Amino acid sequence: MIPKPGADRSKRMIEMDNVGFTYEAGVEALRSVSLKISSGEFLAIVGGNGSGKTTLAKLMNGLLRPSSGSIKISGAPAESQSIAELSKTVGYCFQNPDHQLFCTSVEDEVMFGPKNLGIGLEESRERMERALSLMGIFSLKTMSPFSLSLSERRRVTIASILAMTPQVMILDEPTTGLDADESSELMALIRKLNADGRTIILITHEMKLVAEHADRVIILSDGHILLDSDVRGAFSDLEILKASRLLPPPVTLLASRISSIGISRDLLTSDEFVFELSRRYGSR
Amino acid sequence: MYALKMSGVSFVYEGAEGHALDDISVSIDEGEFVTVLGANGAGKTTLAMLSNGLIPHAIKGTLEGSVKVFGYDISKHTVAQLSTLVGMVFQEPESQLFCMSVEEEVAFGPENLAIPRDELFKRVEWALDLVGLKGLNERSPATLSGGQKQRLAIAAALAMRPKMLVLDEPAYALDPVGRIELYALLRSLTEKHGMAVLLMDRDSENILEFSDKVVLMNSGRILTVAPPSEILRDIRNFRAIRVPPPQIFEIASLLNSRLTGVDFSFTTLDEAEAELLSRVPSLPRRGDTR
Amino acid sequence: MKGVFDLYTARDTFLHRLDPRVKILAVLFLSLLGFIMTNLIPLFTLLCFIILLLYLTRSTFSKAYFALKFVLRLMVLITVLWPLFDQSGTPVLAALGPIKITEPAIWRGLTSAIRIGCLATVWYILMFTTTQRDLVRALVKMGLRYDFGLALAISLRFIPTFGFTIESIKDAQRARGLEFDKGSIIRRSKNYIAVLIPAVVYALRTAETLSLSLQSRAYGARKDRTYMREIRMRSSDLVSLVIVVLLFAIPAVAKFVFGAAI
Ligand SMILES: Nc1ncnc2c1ncn2[C@@H]1O[C@H](COP(=O)(O)OP(=O)(O)O)[C@@H](O)[C@H]1O
Ligand SMILES: Nc1ncnc2c1ncn2[C@@H]1O[C@H](COP(=O)(O)OP(=O)(O)O)[C@@H](O)[C@H]1O
Ligand SMILES: [Mg+2]
Ligand SMILES: [Mg+2]
Repeated sequence: MIPKPGADRSKRMIEMDNVGFTYEAGVEALRSVSLKISSGEFLAIVGGNGSGKTTLAKLMNGLLRPSSGSIKISGAPAESQSIAELSKTVGYCFQNPDHQLFCTSVEDEVMFGPKNLGIGLEESRERMERALSLMGIFSLKTMSPFSLSLSERRRVTIASILAMTPQVMILDEPTTGLDADESSELMALIRKLNADGRTIILITHEMKLVAEHADRVIILSDGHILLDSDVRGAFSDLEILKASRLLPPPVTLLASRISSIGISRDLLTSDEFVFELSRRYGSR
Repeated sequence: MYALKMSGVSFVYEGAEGHALDDISVSIDEGEFVTVLGANGAGKTTLAMLSNGLIPHAIKGTLEGSVKVFGYDISKHTVAQLSTLVGMVFQEPESQLFCMSVEEEVAFGPENLAIPRDELFKRVEWALDLVGLKGLNERSPATLSGGQKQRLAIAAALAMRPKMLVLDEPAYALDPVGRIELYALLRSLTEKHGMAVLLMDRDSENILEFSDKVVLMNSGRILTVAPPSEILRDIRNFRAIRVPPPQIFEIASLLNSRLTGVDFSFTTLDEAEAELLSRVPSLPRRGDTR
Repeated sequence: MKGVFDLYTARDTFLHRLDPRVKILAVLFLSLLGFIMTNLIPLFTLLCFIILLLYLTRSTFSKAYFALKFVLRLMVLITVLWPLFDQSGTPVLAALGPIKITEPAIWRGLTSAIRIGCLATVWYILMFTTTQRDLVRALVKMGLRYDFGLALAISLRFIPTFGFTIESIKDAQRARGLEFDKGSIIRRSKNYIAVLIPAVVYALRTAETLSLSLQSRAYGARKDRTYMREIRMRSSDLVSLVIVVLLFAIPAVAKFVFGAAI
């Protein structure tokens, strides 16, 4: 059994203090980034292409080390821990599933992580089965990953990270390439991971997803944090969104335009909007 | 003359069981902007590759029916011959840019067609200007941003002076602003240059306002072909193809079904603002029960 | 990524402007000279000449350092090791058990080191001043079939991209707890299967779209393909070519016809 990670909201999972990162080629991808992420949060990191989202994620699990500033994971300095050690706490799911799939079966693929961490065969197997169930792909256990659809391949990669039982899961643009149904099925599974107590960091530029699922939003633009707020706050500043090459969902724009009739400005989904209007107007 | 005319087209990939396309008939006029909407697996890529002859010439399978571009039967002409009629932009930006500089990338097609040198220069400058990449001639395509890469792929197709441009989900990895910039560029190609555009997409949010005609596809079949205004009459159109409707339109439908005595017909933000501001305040107010 | 692989530095020097065909010939001739020469002084002169040319390329220090680091190490290694293995001749300068160091061996070692230095550095003159694109164009102009030239160009173009993908694959596997430089040699080589397979899959996918994309852009449509950028031999290129030929011919004739000791 995967031990259920407790969601002690007061527990600080990730803490970045004034972090900067410059690639070897001289590209300054992040500048003075400071943030704190607590256990059990559902955080969205948003920003246009090239704004530094992936770089930020790689810093969180040690794939990149900061050029300046400091990072603490679960209270301990990240620099003293190897990537393998960090990956037990912070799981990072790459954008492109095809950059990691290489085994002949889904089960081997998912057991790869636990085995690398030195976990015994028996427990690796249990973890694998549990992770596959969590991602709703238990039935694909013996299939070859290469014969699966993109949506299924993506779930396999998420399961393969889950099997390492990290407290924090970073998902880098997990819905890219998926259609609407595939994407909402995946998001439902991700929400369940969060409900079980895992901290979720969702990287995306789809603001509809953010509006529907996230509690907190960090907007990145050109390598620095433009805004760090709860999800409603993030959608109320249209200028900031535009400046970061993002578009608020049309419903948010509409709500702010017609706020004079007495509905709140920060509605996030069609359902909220319709509920708000029908609560005030119209007979049954 | 039609830019593209497909009649009774079915296609089964070699080694596959089901039909990728199943009895498709559709036509596109010259200078028309047509968007094909459909979820993954609907058959969009297959349709795109038929329109310049990659199917059946490069990709094998069983093809039935007839596909004509500007009157030419695709099965009787090579992909190279058709390339002066149909320009193709693929989904992945990276693997379709294979030259060492932006300029060479754009010149590659016309060079193959043995266009004279001074004309080559003109075409390259024209195409780069059109897509907003002027001055980047010497850059390596690998160093461009995602949006720039797609623009370069478009320029490379345009340089062959085709009369129709076919694009397979070119915006799928772009950020929202990049996506709209790309749509606006495509729209300007039809408006300023009379180019027919056939765009495959799986996101309805911003594309309807740019299109003259929309083709709704699901599992290899065409369900509806109509102008956006007609598509936006019935929300079931979107359910049938498993593509979410534009959010504003969805709100109108939801309001119509939840509130009695209203019949909203807005589909754009401006229309929604006007209709809601004029109609809603006169609706009976509910007792503030909370 | 890019910096390491592509040695070209954009500058506007005489060497940059020179027709790449002349540069290729020049480099070939200069290396031939390196082979023909057997004496220290002529070789040393040749090396100085090559270094002068390298200086004239105005390449950046970091690129030059990167390129020359290996050559320098190699030269030092040869100079030091040569006398240990070549023990012929007199006078013997030092002897330690079975090992003796002779004076002629030291000179021979130095000569060999300088020759290797010439042969290795001369290519950088070409690489520092010529874009990969121009190199391929020159080769095609010199008779390489266009298809081969294109294939070469495409490979060069995708090397950095491929390298980048491999880095990303390695990162993806590291994020799953794989430690590449841990364990026995066998273990370590096995680890690379986790990189190799996704990389091959990626390469095959890329190749597939690439082929569709080439066809869609009329590749192979006509035999009489045109070229937007033609390499033209200008009068200055021609003069340079003559100089290059003379530079090679004079020492060669001196040696082989008149038996000069160079
Ligand atoms: N390996 C790398 N070498 C050099 N620059 C890089 C590298 N990876 C990313 N960058 C640059 O860093 C910036 C941020 O990139 P990234 O974090 O990937 O953004 P995002 O994930 O938001 O699209 C971009 O300008 C990008 O070009
Ligand atoms: N190369 C192929 N071989 C076999 N089947 C294929 C191939 N490409 C696509 N298909 C199948 O054809 C159908 C239509 O696919 P496609 O045209 O790619 O749809 P879309 O682009 O709308 O996602 C799908 O069922 C898909 O599985
Ligand atoms: Mg990214
Ligand atoms: Mg497709």
